[in-house]
Amino acid sequence: MGEALLSVRDLCVSFLTEDGPVQAVDGVSFGLAPGEVLAIVGESGSGKSVTAQTIVSLTRSPNARISGSVRLGEAELLGAAEDELRRVRGERIAMVFQDPMTSFNPVYRIGAQIVEAIQAHRPEVEKRAAREQTIELLGAVGLPQPQRQVDRYPHELSGGMRQRAMIAMALALEPQVLIADEPTTALDVTIQAQILALLRRLNRERGLATIMITHDFGVVAELADRVLVMHEGKIVERGDIDQVFYAPTDPYTRKLLGAVVRLDQAPPLRPPAAAAPLLEVTDLVKHFPVKRGLLIDREVDRVRAVDGVSFSVAPGETLGLVGESGSGKSTLSRAMLGLLQPSSGSVRFEGREITGLSRRRMQPLRAQMQLIFQDPYASLNPRKRIGQIVAEPLRIQGRASGAGLRSQVGELLERVGLSPAHYNRYPHEFSGGQRQRIGIARALALRPKLVVADEPVSALDVSIRAQILDLLAELQEELGLTYIFIAHDIGVVRHVSDRIAVMHDGKLVEQGPADQVCERPSDPYTQALLAAVPIPDPRECRARHDT
Amino acid sequence: MARFAVRRLLGMAAVLFAVSVLVFVIFNVVPNADPARQLAGRSANPQLVASITDEWGFDEPLPRQYLTMMGNIFSGKVVSYETRENVDERIVEGIPETFSLCIGAAVIWLFFGILFGYLSAVRAGGWLDRALTVVAVTGISIPVFWLAAILLNYLTYKLELLPSGGYVPLSENPLEWARHLILPWVTLAVVYVGFYSRVLRSSMLDAMDEDYVRTARAKGLSERRVMTRHVLRNSLVPIVTLFGLDFGALLGGVIVVEGIFNINGIGQYAYESLLNLDLPPIMAITLFGAFFIVLFNSLVDIAYAYLDPRVRLGESAS
Repeated sequence: MGEALLSVRDLCVSFLTEDGPVQAVDGVSFGLAPGEVLAIVGESGSGKSVTAQTIVSLTRSPNARISGSVRLGEAELLGAAEDELRRVRGERIAMVFQDPMTSFNPVYRIGAQIVEAIQAHRPEVEKRAAREQTIELLGAVGLPQPQRQVDRYPHELSGGMRQRAMIAMALALEPQVLIADEPTTALDVTIQAQILALLRRLNRERGLATIMITHDFGVVAELADRVLVMHEGKIVERGDIDQVFYAPTDPYTRKLLGAVVRLDQAPPLRPPAAAAPLLEVTDLVKHFPVKRGLLIDREVDRVRAVDGVSFSVAPGETLGLVGESGSGKSTLSRAMLGLLQPSSGSVRFEGREITGLSRRRMQPLRAQMQLIFQDPYASLNPRKRIGQIVAEPLRIQGRASGAGLRSQVGELLERVGLSPAHYNRYPHEFSGGQRQRIGIARALALRPKLVVADEPVSALDVSIRAQILDLLAELQEELGLTYIFIAHDIGVVRHVSDRIAVMHDGKLVEQGPADQVCERPSDPYTQALLAAVPIPDPRECRARHDT
Repeated sequence: MARFAVRRLLGMAAVLFAVSVLVFVIFNVVPNADPARQLAGRSANPQLVASITDEWGFDEPLPRQYLTMMGNIFSGKVVSYETRENVDERIVEGIPETFSLCIGAAVIWLFFGILFGYLSAVRAGGWLDRALTVVAVTGISIPVFWLAAILLNYLTYKLELLPSGGYVPLSENPLEWARHLILPWVTLAVVYVGFYSRVLRSSMLDAMDEDYVRTARAKGLSERRVMTRHVLRNSLVPIVTLFGLDFGALLGGVIVVEGIFNINGIGQYAYESLLNLDLPPIMAITLFGAFFIVLFNSLVDIAYAYLDPRVRLGESAS
């Protein structure tokens, strides 16, 4: 490592809370050389984002206690005057954040926000010149028709385009350091691949030193020269990328790497199920009308969310349904569960047509099909005790009451790896992984035959993700469950599925046995999707980029 | 944007029609007595009641009655049978006084409401925030008549700085116009300053946690620019909502303050008519007030589209 451009020494950040101080960052030291890409990897709560924000003193909570040193060249940034920091931010150290939708101010045009950044540091630059420069920057980060995009509002761009614009804004003043905090986490995998390629190009062409904050080892392998692994505020592993991936010394790093679900390492396939299908979907269509008109709304167009989908699932099987955002997978899942009336087509459950069934006749069937949701925070009512949450389906279906209900709930909690003693606790007392277990217990309460899991692990950290996937597999084995596993991450889907169906623009573009779809995809979209998945293996990444 | 505005204004026409029907029903259909008798008020005699029945068409079918009533009100033919005054003329006379009072007060309360709210939010938790919180809560809690009495006692009777009430037209003498209105303006504005500053404060504190505010800081904007361009601007939506409702409602008449300061506006007229159970003016003033409430609600919707471009996009959705 050459002369450090940025050096962080003994950085400590603690937050005073009602339960005493919480040490978010605990004695972190590292240097960043010019032109280097340094990845800081960790799970949620590891302190990686706080570290990144503290570098430019954006940790502004009045309860934060910060000590240590952050030097950019000769200048000390910790405790520097606000005016001095202001000149560093954007001009010498620029940042890109996770969610480009919320990171742009929704009420100003993209161009105006970039012009604002330029003029904040170069007040002498005229608006017209700043605008010209903005258009140039937007072109440089690969936005098509930058002259038009410059006058768009953030919500008028797609997620990938917004993140490109965000990167353009970061580059506007030619900073020496770019801090990217989970820059691709909110994006689809094909878009992620484009953004990573852009960051790689910028690093190579402009020698832009980059600190990449991420939880995803795939992203690390794609981009980083050096890696820091953070756990509970401390750096537990550091080294160049090959060393961390192939010879990790710290047990936590090893655990984290071991928990990564890899697309190129398939689990053994189970023999195909031969029985009559449990669920059979034929030519399912769901259109949403787009209405417009001055006085009376007329239908001028329709969104073909689900556009002629057919598939079937055999008892005991796991069907993986993969698609990016907007592909229609969530609409499909709601339509096949009878939660949404399809425009046309048929859904048969155990041979019985369920589209068009009345609410009352649907009721007993609902017990047979249950849902596990993506967000373990939003899907549990925060005002109910977890015992009540798990008991609710039993109560609604009139399956149990009183002491019997309570003991059943206790068994369910035990089965998903929680304690019956947790009965009276509230959801906020549990971690994300535990909450997802509660959601699973609720789904299993009625002993369903079919469980539809909609992105059940996307909101979870890698190590937790592996535990939940293991739990789902165990439960399937024990209870003979049939899963429809919906996810955007084809790596996770392959890990759990017998068969995979790939959804794109409301249609199933490909379906077949998991290894066939992943290894010999026939559809060009599936091929693109697979090629975009970052492989958590630096050597393979290099091989892929060299070709 | 233009299409959005047109749609909102058309919607406004529909709501106004509904309001007028409601007024018609409340005054002329529901009462369990001869509406002509009701309209005549205390000076009712058989000849008057008969002529009112004829004039308002109370012996005709309801839809015709409705049309006749609206026709009477909008063509300025409604007369109070109590005072023999033309109602519409009297309302028009009251407009400059009520509007002078409301517009002046609104300028004061918006200015100080936004200023205090902004300062409170920027200095949240500090002594200035605490002091302004006390000011705001006091302003909200003080009864209007009490505040007016105190102001009159000190500024008018003890120090003899300001007149005790009355109204001088702006065109006659702008200085006297303002001098006469200062006390009513302040009295009317104090409550709203309190409310608006609290609402803006909490709205700004929410906005400060937004990701785009962090982005604004990360690109090196000065703290002041972050606060005005990014936090304040995005926090104005609830203020606009409140203002549309409050201001629209006040233009229909400010009963208490007009009464205390002897301003002969629409509120005063409404009050007198209520005391005399004089129905024709009450009907007309109700419609007049409803018109401004509906108008300002529509203007608020249009202002949203200006403040938040996402609303413009949503115009065709749903």
